[in-house]
Amino acid sequence: MEVRSTQQPEHSELPDSPHVVLECKDVNHWFGDKKVLYKIRLTVTRGQIVGLVGPSGSGKSTLLRGILGTHPPCAGEVLMDGTPYRRPHRDRGIVYQRYSLFPFLTAEENVAFGLMLDQTTVAFRSFKFWEWWKLRQEHLKQAAALLQRLGLDKARHQYPAELSGGMRQRVAIAQALIMKPKLLLLDEPFGALDEATREDLQLMLLHLYDENLRALEKQEPPPYTILIVTHELNEALYVSDRIVGLSQYHAEGANGATIVYDKAAPIFRPQDPKDVGKFLKQKEQLLDAVFDEEQVQHHLEFVTFWQDHEKSSKAS
Amino acid sequence: MIRQPISRHWWIGLGVASVLLLVLLYTVFAGSRQATRRREQQRIAIESLQQLSQRAQELEQRRAEARRADNTQVLTQIARDAERLQIEKENALRDRDEPDAVDRTIPTWSMLYREGLLRTCIPQKKFARTELWILDDFKPTLIRLLTALVVGVLISVVIGLLMGCYDPVEAWFLPPFAFFSKVPATAVMPIFFAVVHINFKMFVAIIAFGMLPTLAQSISQCVRKDVPEELVFKAYTLGASQLELIWNVTFRQVLPRILDAARLQIGPALVLLVAAEWLVAGEGLGHRFRLSYQKTDMSVVYFYVFLLGVFGLAADYALIWIRRRICPWFGD
Repeated sequence: MEVRSTQQPEHSELPDSPHVVLECKDVNHWFGDKKVLYKIRLTVTRGQIVGLVGPSGSGKSTLLRGILGTHPPCAGEVLMDGTPYRRPHRDRGIVYQRYSLFPFLTAEENVAFGLMLDQTTVAFRSFKFWEWWKLRQEHLKQAAALLQRLGLDKARHQYPAELSGGMRQRVAIAQALIMKPKLLLLDEPFGALDEATREDLQLMLLHLYDENLRALEKQEPPPYTILIVTHELNEALYVSDRIVGLSQYHAEGANGATIVYDKAAPIFRPQDPKDVGKFLKQKEQLLDAVFDEEQVQHHLEFVTFWQDHEKSSKAS
Repeated sequence: MIRQPISRHWWIGLGVASVLLLVLLYTVFAGSRQATRRREQQRIAIESLQQLSQRAQELEQRRAEARRADNTQVLTQIARDAERLQIEKENALRDRDEPDAVDRTIPTWSMLYREGLLRTCIPQKKFARTELWILDDFKPTLIRLLTALVVGVLISVVIGLLMGCYDPVEAWFLPPFAFFSKVPATAVMPIFFAVVHINFKMFVAIIAFGMLPTLAQSISQCVRKDVPEELVFKAYTLGASQLELIWNVTFRQVLPRILDAARLQIGPALVLLVAAEWLVAGEGLGHRFRLSYQKTDMSVVYFYVFLLGVFGLAADYALIWIRRRICPWFGD
């Protein structure tokens, strides 16, 4: 089975700032006596779509919250562009599984909400009313354009309660993307949706990755860096270009879950058919390494993403 | 089977029937009350007639004696007594044959119309000036109620929002609020009357005091339970500051519930207001109730009670309509 990795140019060729977007340094987390995360080391570079998988209870959501900044880890650091942080910030967007939109705003207002919160203050909006009104029309235009790109033009003026689950998650992703965050976090975003809608939204993520690839071809920095937590292995292997497996079933499992799998995943372009055969072997490997309670191997055996990456870039 | 639907006609028909039954019961009750009163009047008249005939006999005896003694002074006195006796006898006869006693505590419909509706809605002459009762009574009460509601709700919203968002604020306000929300505000009235001057501000203060602990606590509970933490975190990732989080996210999310909670506080506020006015006010609904009670003249009270019921229903519907307009996203 051929596993292609992205053609990542050398650092000096990229015209942008730091290559490494996210770095987790020895992240440990516990709740009282219960140890949840153990020595998490993760480096995410710009333009990657990382799929975070693991059995239930492996602390995926805990790790995501630690990366988001709302529940910073008990020990260790999380760094974005080299600076450690312990609180949420507009550079890290999130889409939750439920309560993903503000119920008191229409779809368009929801998407424009971030622009308003980020670019203006309450004082500005209260006292410089005319300027604010003009800026608001700008925001709403941007929001409408983005929604149109995602095929939600007709639902612009509807409230979230009137939208279907799939449309809601689309609007939520638009709401996060309009801020152009450095890192977009998705916490099981399609978990509550039916199969057909899920495939639709997976295709949307593939389009985003497609934009990344086209930007790289033009020697521009890729716009989207995404970390998606999911319990669906097929989804993770289809959408992402790197799989990270978190599991408590390893030699030092008593100390908490750690990363036991970190390899590249096959890349699908939006026009490619969803050929499950492409990643069947990798899926079995994943099931063994991450989900199997019996198999307790050395936890670093399958954590080979950066070695594979160096090998392939040396080869090319 | 429970929850079996019935046709619209039955719904309306049963509702109308229940109202008509109540009206009928009242008419019968009022009628029987008036009849009892008149029978009482007749009975007293008959008793007094008996006494009067006895006195008449005694008087005749005294007259005969005085005539025999030829005492003119006593005769004139007896004549005067006889005249008085005659008037009393005529009154008693009239009471017995055409009783006209009226019980004003449970008036008949015509009394309610004349002395209730007409008297309050048509300007009455009182010495040199005219007063329109319905306006003179409702205006001060409604102004006090409205001011108190606005002030009470504003303060409760501010404190409730802060309590819901910040733990130290909640820890500070919880003991007094939890305690005073259980104290009936009517029990605190004497303290208010004694300590604060009896004026407009005092009424506003007592209603706001009665409404504040309950409303602030309920708003703070709403903020903690009805705003999912996912929305709060998401707002932070969209670049919200603390103030924006409280004002643009939390407040807008709990606004429909605030309107509902405020609507529920109108009833208790009105109860407290009428009670306070009854005791100490110089004008307003409670004042009119006190006057009516002193004169045992209840027609006005009945009419005002009806108007207050209508006002309550109207205020309820108005607030529900306002909530639907401001928060169309909040499903009913």
